[in-house]
Amino acid sequence: METNGEIEQKTTLSPLLRRLLRLQFWLVEHLRPSERQSTLIWAALIGALGALTSEAFRKTSDFVLHLATGSSSGIISGFANLTWWQRLIVPTVGGLLAGSTLWFGSRLVAGGKQKTTTDYMEAIVVGSGIISARASIVKSLSALLSISTGTSIGREGPLVQISSLVASLIGRVRNIPIPQRRHLVACGAAAGIASAYKAPIAASFFVAEIILGTVVVESLGPLIIASVVAAFVTQMLGNSEPLYKSSGFNLHTRWEIIPLSCVGILLGFSAPLYLGFLRSAERLFSKIVLPVPLKLALGGAIVGGLAILNPDVCGNGHGLLRSIFHQYWFWDEVLAIIVLKLLATATAFGSGVVGGVFTPTLVVGAGLGVLYGEGILYLAPQFQSDPAMYGVVGMGAFLAATTGAPLMAILMAFELTLDYSIAPFLMVNCVVAYYCSGIFEKRFMYGESLERKGAAFFNQQLAAVNIRDLVRRDPITLPKNATFAQIAETFVQHRFQHVYIVDKDQKLLGAISLHDVKTFLDRPELESVVIAADIMDEDFPRVSPMHGMNDALHKFSEAHSERLPVVDDMVSKRLIGSISKTDIILHLAGDQSAAATSRQFR
Amino acid sequence: MGLRTGVAAAIRRGIVFEKFSNAVIKATPAFPGRSIWYNKDSWGGYRVISRKAIEHLKGAIFLKDLEAQSDHEAISKMLDLLRSHPEVCNFEMFAADVFDRQQTDPPLFPGGVAFPHARTDGVMTLVMAVATCRKPIQFGDISVRLIFLVGVPKRAGGDYLELISFLARQIRRDRAMERLTGAEDMPGFIARFVDPA
Repeated sequence: METNGEIEQKTTLSPLLRRLLRLQFWLVEHLRPSERQSTLIWAALIGALGALTSEAFRKTSDFVLHLATGSSSGIISGFANLTWWQRLIVPTVGGLLAGSTLWFGSRLVAGGKQKTTTDYMEAIVVGSGIISARASIVKSLSALLSISTGTSIGREGPLVQISSLVASLIGRVRNIPIPQRRHLVACGAAAGIASAYKAPIAASFFVAEIILGTVVVESLGPLIIASVVAAFVTQMLGNSEPLYKSSGFNLHTRWEIIPLSCVGILLGFSAPLYLGFLRSAERLFSKIVLPVPLKLALGGAIVGGLAILNPDVCGNGHGLLRSIFHQYWFWDEVLAIIVLKLLATATAFGSGVVGGVFTPTLVVGAGLGVLYGEGILYLAPQFQSDPAMYGVVGMGAFLAATTGAPLMAILMAFELTLDYSIAPFLMVNCVVAYYCSGIFEKRFMYGESLERKGAAFFNQQLAAVNIRDLVRRDPITLPKNATFAQIAETFVQHRFQHVYIVDKDQKLLGAISLHDVKTFLDRPELESVVIAADIMDEDFPRVSPMHGMNDALHKFSEAHSERLPVVDDMVSKRLIGSISKTDIILHLAGDQSAAATSRQFR
Repeated sequence: MGLRTGVAAAIRRGIVFEKFSNAVIKATPAFPGRSIWYNKDSWGGYRVISRKAIEHLKGAIFLKDLEAQSDHEAISKMLDLLRSHPEVCNFEMFAADVFDRQQTDPPLFPGGVAFPHARTDGVMTLVMAVATCRKPIQFGDISVRLIFLVGVPKRAGGDYLELISFLARQIRRDRAMERLTGAEDMPGFIARFVDPA
């Protein structure tokens, strides 16, 4: 009975227990974050940390600037207060210190065991989402020294680098899977840009459009969260105003729409020249054989020389942009500052200073826009044009034309000024500039770098693939005296593009392409007079397991074929199987099981 | 698209049609371009005659009333006709490849036509010799009265298929053998080829 009593007691309690358990399951099921939701939480954290590290970098940079120039009111005014020889010395010494940091730092970093990258774009696109912490710190320190001593290079580069590093470290510490880790690094980059420009929407689209190459919600969502949190934290730290807040633009006559809509054409065609100029500077400096510290010192000295003429060339150009938008510049002043800024940026970029060219690009675009606006004002004074309005439009158009990312450029120019009245003109001109630039320029600012890194990664992966691992062992073959009827039947029965012709010892004699014979497959008159030997291609490309994968891909392009025959060696030419392009791609994509399955079933 | 519609569209484009015979039409474009030949098929419609094949035939060497005791002799005599052909760069190789191909699987068409041929590096472009035989020559079990000897460069597999397909199709027509073996020279042979009437 006692036993029965226990049972009775248990059955009495069980409905409550069952409800509690059900509630617990429901809570776990509905409130426990999935992988996608946890990415959003990490993105928010990365956004906050990105903004804090960016602010720390900014403060440190200001402190170094104060040490170098004695000024706390910005880089341009700091240099303006220096004597001519000080303007020359400060960037030169800064370059020397930045170069020495890189030089010594590279020796320090070389001792690291793990093979990682320092480039956030590489880590996101082709890497494993791991950024080298030591190398990033060295690069950022070098950038800090260059930027704070007046070099004309963007501060946003190191800001993005540091916040990406923070994201990468979180991914490593939490042992987050590689695809998600890459995404977190992308969030870090977006947070860095958002805190640098206070432009969260543009920052999200910068990473999505330029680095990820897609604007689908799955990838854009976490970027938006990271950017918005970063921008919000930056505002909380006291930087609430947009960088170049517009005081409002008005069209005095509707006819002004015409010249305003043509800014994109001018800037679009100028962009390839600008990119070419930067590349030429890089090539020129690469020919100068000097140790890194001296090369950066030389770059600093040239910038210092230009600063003697006009201190406005110093720094990334934030102050200059503000000045261009909010003060009246005569056309010859604008022209002079564009030329000097171009020279200073190309020198810094070419000499290998760590940093970005994003803000200098905005300066050049804005300057060209203002110059165009002043031309319109001169030619049609009745329009009463405001050159600054052309400057804002030019800035966006030039950004679109150089980065190949018109959507990001529209949003960036809009967020930097927060002037809705100019948005339609921005949109038109960014798109027009992008198309005009695309006529002459196929490699945009960040695309070229990504292309180079992607190619290097691809070659590295390719070298690790062994042809023998990817061979399918049962290729479709026919003897050389197979009749045309047999050939036709083989092509009908199998969906391969080529049939291999072998002798009795399986020696590969050639291949027949479906493309060559498809128009004759329904000709019964050929059945008795044509055999395989009559129509086979004896020189059809083939590979052996001795070949590298690079050779195999080269032969694929020669053969215009999805599949290549594999022979044991190039002397005996005994056919052992075939290799397909799809399997190589699946293998390179890391999906080795898919490649194996594909080999098994095809 | 039927010929009638095609002709109407073609006339609008300025193509001039010329009646070559009851069964053959020659179409010449108004602007510079090659003429296209059509002949009547068994359904009363018209089909394009392979221009390439006709051009190969035009360049062929014709031998009337070839006499030989064996297929080997017949092929040797025809090869001799091509010995000094400007497009034959290595006659020995060409001849060896033809005999090699004959040994693998002699290309014969039921009804008495032989196609000795080879894809070879011994010729630079497609070369051809045509022979008619008053007295049939034995090629294995088949008594042959018409021989097409063809040398094809290794890269011209498509041309070869087009030519062989065209020749075989024309020969399958009614009384084709009688008409073709009655030809006196190459122009006459071609005329009988394109005009089945």
